[in-house]
Amino acid sequence: MLDHILSLLIFFPALAAVFGFMIQKESMRAYGVSVAAIEFALALWLWYVFDGSVSGMQFMESLPLVPSFGINYTLGVDGISVFIIILSAFFTLLGIGSLTDTKQVKYMIITLLFLQMTMVGVFAALDAIVFYIFWELSLVPMLYIIGAWGGPLRIYASIKFFLYTFAGSLVMLVGMLFMAYFYYQATGVWSFALLDWYRLILPETFQLWLFAAFFLGFAIKVPMFPFHTWLPYAHGQAPTIGSVILAAILLKMGTYAFVRFSLPLFPDAAAFFMIPIAIIAIIMVIYTAMVAYAQKDIKQVVAYSSISHMGIIILGTFALNVEGITGSIFLMLGHGVVAGALFLLVGVIYDRRHTKLMSEFGGLAHVMPRYATIFGIMMMASVGMPLTINFVGEFLSLLGFYQQSHILTLLAGTGIIVGAIYMLAAYKKAFFGEVTNEKNKNLPDINKRELFGLIPLVIVAIWLGVYPKPVLEPINNSVKSIVQLMHNKSTTALAKERIPNLVKPKVVIIEKTIIEEVH
Amino acid sequence: MLAPINISMESLNVMTLAPMLIPVIGALLILVIDVVKGGLHKSLYVVLSLLFLAIDFFSLLDASELFTQNGTVLGMFDVMLIDGLALLAQFIIVIASMLFIPLALTHKRFHEFSYPEFFALFLFMIAGFQFMVATDNIILIFVGLETASLALYTLIAMHNRDKSFEAAVKYFTMGALAAGFFSFGAMIFYALTGSVEINKIALVLAANGYADIGYVLVGTAFMLAAFAFKLSLIPFHTWAPDVYEGSSAPMAGYMSIVPKIAAFVVAMRFFEFLVHSGIVWLDIVLYAFVIITMTVANMWALVQTDVKRMLAYSSISHAGFVMAAILIGTTQANSALFLYWVLFTFTNLGSFSMLWISRQKNLPAHQSSDHSFDKFAGMIKTAPVAAMIMGLFMLSLAGVPPFALFWGKIYLISSAVTSGYTILALIMALNSAIAGYYYLKLIVYMFMKEPVMGNDGHMYVANATLALKTIIGIAAVGTIFAFVAINPLLEFITAFVYNSGY
Repeated sequence: MLDHILSLLIFFPALAAVFGFMIQKESMRAYGVSVAAIEFALALWLWYVFDGSVSGMQFMESLPLVPSFGINYTLGVDGISVFIIILSAFFTLLGIGSLTDTKQVKYMIITLLFLQMTMVGVFAALDAIVFYIFWELSLVPMLYIIGAWGGPLRIYASIKFFLYTFAGSLVMLVGMLFMAYFYYQATGVWSFALLDWYRLILPETFQLWLFAAFFLGFAIKVPMFPFHTWLPYAHGQAPTIGSVILAAILLKMGTYAFVRFSLPLFPDAAAFFMIPIAIIAIIMVIYTAMVAYAQKDIKQVVAYSSISHMGIIILGTFALNVEGITGSIFLMLGHGVVAGALFLLVGVIYDRRHTKLMSEFGGLAHVMPRYATIFGIMMMASVGMPLTINFVGEFLSLLGFYQQSHILTLLAGTGIIVGAIYMLAAYKKAFFGEVTNEKNKNLPDINKRELFGLIPLVIVAIWLGVYPKPVLEPINNSVKSIVQLMHNKSTTALAKERIPNLVKPKVVIIEKTIIEEVH
Repeated sequence: MLAPINISMESLNVMTLAPMLIPVIGALLILVIDVVKGGLHKSLYVVLSLLFLAIDFFSLLDASELFTQNGTVLGMFDVMLIDGLALLAQFIIVIASMLFIPLALTHKRFHEFSYPEFFALFLFMIAGFQFMVATDNIILIFVGLETASLALYTLIAMHNRDKSFEAAVKYFTMGALAAGFFSFGAMIFYALTGSVEINKIALVLAANGYADIGYVLVGTAFMLAAFAFKLSLIPFHTWAPDVYEGSSAPMAGYMSIVPKIAAFVVAMRFFEFLVHSGIVWLDIVLYAFVIITMTVANMWALVQTDVKRMLAYSSISHAGFVMAAILIGTTQANSALFLYWVLFTFTNLGSFSMLWISRQKNLPAHQSSDHSFDKFAGMIKTAPVAAMIMGLFMLSLAGVPPFALFWGKIYLISSAVTSGYTILALIMALNSAIAGYYYLKLIVYMFMKEPVMGNDGHMYVANATLALKTIIGIAAVGTIFAFVAINPLLEFITAFVYNSGY
């Protein structure tokens, strides 16, 4: 069973979803929670048996799918993907558990279970086509969630979401076909296996074009400026559960794919494009932070802040060194926890008041003290306060990029300050002051079902902020091997300079911890 | 007094005719049965046709076994040419026909199916298409094409609505024009080379180094126009949406598959040597045809208000997409064409059959056409299974993995990549994204809108019988589990295409 744990993790929810059609409507919620709990237990078990000191792939499985065209069903996890898989199982459980009363709850839960299949599949796939299959397939359940349960503009938002991502990923598909063809030219065998591709060294011009093709697919998903316009619509119209999964997991697919595909496959191109991408990332951080400040709708504030944080993740990824990439992966987890929690919190108040406008609120801290506390903690985590989960990731990301460019890192730092401003301002508007609106006087505080979703997130946000080592170490091990691979593969002088060689200073690494290693 | 012709039967190789003769015999038998005892139920004819198609299928299996052992077989004064392309195309024709014919067993009475002539014509048409693909001889191609087309025009008109007559006449006039173009083109090539066999034409032209390039171009232009009519390439597509709308849904689905694969095979035989001969002009024209057809048809499909017309434009776009294979002309591209078409057969016949089971005998007042988008609003609430199956077909047509058409798409795009058509590959990919929108539109109507008042979901399956449901089930299974079949299919197709020298 251990040999096939990844397949089990992928297809168990899908199988359960198919059986879900037979479940009676009233029992559906219990069924959904049990399935998600089993899945989460399996994911935890994966963590338990996962060997954090190994940097390569573990639990690999392979099955020929279209062998004559080099497509194989290959799975595997390393330190980079294992935690995102666990996170997606975690969020599906919390999401289904704290699901508010919606119409057609049965279809919603079935859709969520299908979505979980695609999420785990994306992070476990080691074959480009299998990756692409899950990547595209994940659009369909999300399309349905936004389109069927969303707000008044839901159809526009869902189609925009689908078409943006679909168009981008088709360009990426052409890139993948080129990559496979180059591999075929070099070896005489068709292969879409990622680990095979890792061994292929391409001339720089090819790398630049292919990097651009992959970049389009990933950047739309992240979403990076200027492709970000679908996200505020999607968040604005999606039901709470849709926003939570979208922010916590689906956006991570893009940043994860950068680490998994773009960096190790095209190290020279990554080094070449480092500065332009960093500038886009900084525009994302600062511009969206300012847009967030101007929002009247609290959900839009969270949505734009989420884009802003994705900018830091990109910045860390393209630092091209161990600290930056490790930090960005940790920040993916942190951002997932925090943004997911914030969307859940926005959903709580929306369920009570059916509005998300901050001007309607004010003084909520008096009426709903527990809610205000949790919101406060999560907001602090979001702005990156030390001892919360985001701090670790943001700090490492910026530290990594500081080695590449001081000025740009400083600019990104100001973005974080703006982030603190809009978050605190939003918090002030909604929670402090007198209760001015009559409708807010008798709001019930947070209930059990909502606590079920939020308490674990608070615990994780603080636990990993105080003691990130159990997660950080396996990530760090795998990132090191990727950085070393990039260094070895790179051909241009620029890339050799920007991507550090880890072999020589290995003696130093053994003695010092990651953060100290910098100087 | 002429000397008696003396030819041994063996050198005729009559077996090469067997696959075509079987449907002809079947058609004649159906006519005889009707003469002996009229007024029999349509189920008899459906099953008889199915049986003859099954025998046809087995004879094809036999022939393909012969092909894998001995290579290309010639017969009947070397007019018949049984090579890999012929066999693959015939497989597609026969399988698509076998999937089509049970759709006649509807719940409601559509009177065209009560005539035995319908089934006789249907079998004649299949024989015509089989002749068309299994020969190298332009004259026999023409005869096959016309036999099949004339039968097809009649089949459309038998649907017996005003729009069907319009469709049949439109198709007939356009078809006649195409036939004229074809014979003109053939005439020019005959004048140039003194031969009506494509491989000899190619040899003669190559031998004199394309000396009369001007005439070759004129002949090619006529041929191109003829095939563009048959394949509904823009700007020769104008008949397609009206004809699809006028004919019954399964007939429209059938028309989008079978006549086109036959035309594709002939186009492959004819244009391949011209493309490889390095005539730049033809390259450019084909390139333009491919890009314009897929892009413009997609644009038109975006603004349709009727699902059937939308599907009509979408199949024009698919034809343009597949035409790229002829332009690229490598073994991989030609294999991709067949792979794509096999997968397209399942998905497209499935989606047209879904329209067919929801066909009402009379139009309700609020509905402007048989299959307007409004009709499908909120289908998930009233007929969830049907909605999911329809959604599945739409996703497959849009090329969402892992459903059937995705595999055809990547293999075809990959063949463009492999032969250096980078821009073409990108355009093909982006067109899939545009196409995503209109397929999504139906999904949006089905899954995200509220149903029209008074719609209890019965109308979506009003026309359904066990036979129809079975066919849709086969199509759905074929669409979902395509990934299992891709590898054997691909190896089979590639071997056949490669061994016939394409």
